[in-house]
Amino acid sequence: MVDSSKTLGSSQPIRRGSLYIFLRQRSTIAFMMVLPLLLIIGCLVAYPFFYSIYLSTLNKAETAFVGISNFLFLFKRETFWMVVQQSVTFALIAVVFKALIGFIAAHAVNNIPSKGQRKWRGMMLVPWVIPPALSTLGWWWLFEPTYSSFNWILEALGLSAIPWLSDTFWARFSIILVNVWVGAPFFLIMYLAALKSIPEDLYEAASIDGASAWQKLIHVTIPMMRNIISITVLFSIIVTFANFDIVRVLTQGGPRNSTHLFASYSFRVGIESGDIPLGAAVSLFMFPVLAVLAFIILRNVRQRTVNI
Amino acid sequence: MQQRNGSRRKFLQGMGALGVVVATAPYVKTSHSAGKLAIGTWDHWVPGANDVLREVCEEWAGSNGVDLTIDFITSIGNKLLLTAQAESRAETGHDVYCVPQWMPSMFRHRLEPVDDVVNDIISAHGALSPAAEFFAHLDGVWRGAPAPAGSLSYPSVSRLDLYREHAGIDLTSIFPAGGARNHELVDAWSYDSFLTAAHKLHAVGKPFGAPIAPTPDGNQWLGSLFAAYGAEVMDASGDITVDSDEIREVLEYLSRLTQYMPDSVYAWDDASNNRFMISGSGSTAFNPPSIWAVSSRDMPAVAEQLWHHDSPRGPKGRYRASAPFFWGIWDFSSNISAGKDLLRYLARKDVVDRLVAGSKGFDIPLITSHYQSNDLWKNAGPPSGVLYNYPIRGDEVPTTAGVPAPPEYGAQIFAQGILPNLVARVTQGGDTFDDAIGWAENEMEGIMRG
Amino acid sequence: MTNRTRNTGALGALIGNNTSLNSDRKWALIASYACLIVFVIFFLCPPFYMLITSLKTNAEIADLSTNPWIIEQGLTIEHYISLLTETAFLTYFKNTVIVAFFVVLITMVISVLAAYALSRLGFWGSGVIATGVFLVYLVPDSLLFIPLFKIVGGLGLLNSYWVLVLVYPTLTVPFCTWIMIGYFASIPKELDEAALIDGANHMQMLLRVFIPVALPGLIAATIFAFTVSWASFLYPLAYIYSDNQMVLTVGTVTTLIKGDVFHWGGLMAGALLAAAPPVILYAFLMDYYIAGLTSGATKG
Repeated sequence: MVDSSKTLGSSQPIRRGSLYIFLRQRSTIAFMMVLPLLLIIGCLVAYPFFYSIYLSTLNKAETAFVGISNFLFLFKRETFWMVVQQSVTFALIAVVFKALIGFIAAHAVNNIPSKGQRKWRGMMLVPWVIPPALSTLGWWWLFEPTYSSFNWILEALGLSAIPWLSDTFWARFSIILVNVWVGAPFFLIMYLAALKSIPEDLYEAASIDGASAWQKLIHVTIPMMRNIISITVLFSIIVTFANFDIVRVLTQGGPRNSTHLFASYSFRVGIESGDIPLGAAVSLFMFPVLAVLAFIILRNVRQRTVNI
Repeated sequence: MQQRNGSRRKFLQGMGALGVVVATAPYVKTSHSAGKLAIGTWDHWVPGANDVLREVCEEWAGSNGVDLTIDFITSIGNKLLLTAQAESRAETGHDVYCVPQWMPSMFRHRLEPVDDVVNDIISAHGALSPAAEFFAHLDGVWRGAPAPAGSLSYPSVSRLDLYREHAGIDLTSIFPAGGARNHELVDAWSYDSFLTAAHKLHAVGKPFGAPIAPTPDGNQWLGSLFAAYGAEVMDASGDITVDSDEIREVLEYLSRLTQYMPDSVYAWDDASNNRFMISGSGSTAFNPPSIWAVSSRDMPAVAEQLWHHDSPRGPKGRYRASAPFFWGIWDFSSNISAGKDLLRYLARKDVVDRLVAGSKGFDIPLITSHYQSNDLWKNAGPPSGVLYNYPIRGDEVPTTAGVPAPPEYGAQIFAQGILPNLVARVTQGGDTFDDAIGWAENEMEGIMRG
Repeated sequence: MTNRTRNTGALGALIGNNTSLNSDRKWALIASYACLIVFVIFFLCPPFYMLITSLKTNAEIADLSTNPWIIEQGLTIEHYISLLTETAFLTYFKNTVIVAFFVVLITMVISVLAAYALSRLGFWGSGVIATGVFLVYLVPDSLLFIPLFKIVGGLGLLNSYWVLVLVYPTLTVPFCTWIMIGYFASIPKELDEAALIDGANHMQMLLRVFIPVALPGLIAATIFAFTVSWASFLYPLAYIYSDNQMVLTVGTVTTLIKGDVFHWGGLMAGALLAAAPPVILYAFLMDYYIAGLTSGATKG
């Protein structure tokens, strides 16, 4: 593909013909350049994706086609609806808190003298840099029923121990807490960058108009950050919604299936109980939700493509 | 129907194996003529046990000219099962694979029948544990032979000092390390007397603890408790029997017992009871000897007071949770005959004794005569004889959650933690018996889908 | 980056009233530092506790009567020593480095080529591809790993770390392509027209003009690819089981947790050492990474 474009300079004289060749070559070159990307996505994402749709239409022994009856079967299961509800609640609450903590932390960093900013920002990025499977082990050790060092502090303060992972409420709380811990730094850096990109004169103009700090926040900061907030939130919902490691390491879905998310429940059904078609069906349920998000993101993407 | 399919499969596989033999025959040249054999087995958690197993297998390979590799795969995060799923779907990987407990049933369509091997073992060394028959002899076909490592059981592990001081019970005289037992004393060790003891020990802040969560340990001890009350969620013919007096009785019993257990048991994993006992907080757990082994290293004062003994007796008898381990041969293996030969070799008395010693007595051979004639458990200590009752010595019947349901359903009862979840709904979630039983029935219908 | 006192920050200023500008700023600063301290405690508490645990003796870890947050019975590095000498930790480390190196290489080649083509050589279907690439991000790995068993097995890559080199790019390429598109799009069109008139072909132009100009983005994408290939959990969990092929995340969990006997000291030591390379990388390249991640979004 390198050689094919060499003709470009020499064929300059015949203008019309060369333009024609140029265009053809240009698209050929472009296609060649995109080809590795298409191959990797086609073979390793699209094909397995459609294959798992196919799997979800088979019976448990994978010997017969059963259409959508796996999905109809799931609709009748109380546990499945619990998982749907939990996944949605988990993703929404976790993302709201990540966004909130990120927002407050970004403002706090932006406020302090610039020479200290790098240090604080660096410290707050640590949770995001440690591989989550490993940091979740640390959390697990903090929550461990007999040895919980959080409970040690609570008891030292004269409070009673919290059943971090055994009570339905606290187990859900813990899962969300760890997820927020891992994910909040991402919001922090995105918001910080957005804050720094807001032109100073907007604030000055607002001050001249006598705007209070609150009004500046509502009328200047948030509108200017709207784009980045929405993109970050959408990204985060996708990642949070499909979370696997944290639940797997911390609770394995317990107590009483009350912390299962789509990924962990599909793992339980598909791999651990040996019903792979049903497991695939559970996973695929993530897709309608994600497709809605995809639609919203696509609109953002389109806008950006237009800018290009 | 199933039977016919099975025999046809077997025939085809037989032909396949023949084909392989014919195809490889011309390559018989060097000392490495017997081909390659890859083993995937459970990563033993007793330090050094893997090395002994590797040695044993390599000796066999050396004298048979087999090029052998062995991988130790952890059961943490269900990796052993996950890898089995991967290999059976990819139709590649190991030749011989470790399939504990329910796995022969889960992979029965992919495991080569090993009836000839098991029959040879039985005629040479005597009967296998009844648990082996239940889990690996499926529709009249053996899908696995006794594994050289891993088979374990879940006796009670109790603190002698705490029982003596606070419950007035001397466990060493009920379950001595050798010699004849006093039947009256043993008979009096029932779930009712256990409840009384648990109450007293809870009162002094040293409760009984066992996970009520869908982990292997949670399934195991509840499985033996349910069995002792004759409570079955599904009977042997595959009928759902959750709604029964026996189930209500066992839920009733557990509502009382859980009052004397820590609140956190609903989130316990398989290591929590170990930490609970090793830390000195607990008086009893149901577990293999790992609690004793680790506390011997880290908390010797606790270890010296530990004792392994029989489960309590229920209205329908005395049951001990057991997890037999098997080695099966994948039907896509290209060296099935070598695999079978290895399985026969690993059942020899001298080999088994070496392996048991390597596991420090953690493994209980499935070949009954092999553990009865081994003094290792009697001699372990301190306290002297701590492990004697780790293999079943009395009238206990091996079982687990899901027994006696047909194995294809039993495997899922276990994997989805039906028993622990049913119990937790009542004792933690506050469901009425009827609600919890209704939930379990719904789940059981789900399990039975085709 | 000039004068940081420029705005007192909406949040900080909320606390102070409009009494005087100076006390406003003072209160905003105090509030900001208070927030930062709370957050830093929250964010650093688990790693700190992991570090403390990794330096304790087994007996102290098992002992309930001690304060878990400090080391009372003497500091020990036995867990680190046994980790490095008795386990296959260093093998995992080597494998992870190899995997990360090749994944980064493959990812960057694929993404840079594709991003160049998509942002500069608009062709039939390029819009569809650009959005398609983005959609790939929506397909979770927990959906793909089961169907991938057949492909992986067919290629004979089950239980080889090369399978990770093959599948990790599905996690890294979409996002890296996205970052690079953003960077390339910011390069003025006049630049490549000038280069084209000079007779440069597309390859030369990519190498001489685009890559140097978009270097910060390139670095950001590289770090992203590196981090993902270092931290990924599900694929190695599913496809690798031998000690000599294992990578750090899964390996640390599997060799150090033996059955139901947990070596907490060793486990925490392993987790910290395994997390060290990305943390160190960030310490040096954080600014590039942040710039790269945020560039696209802030422009939109």
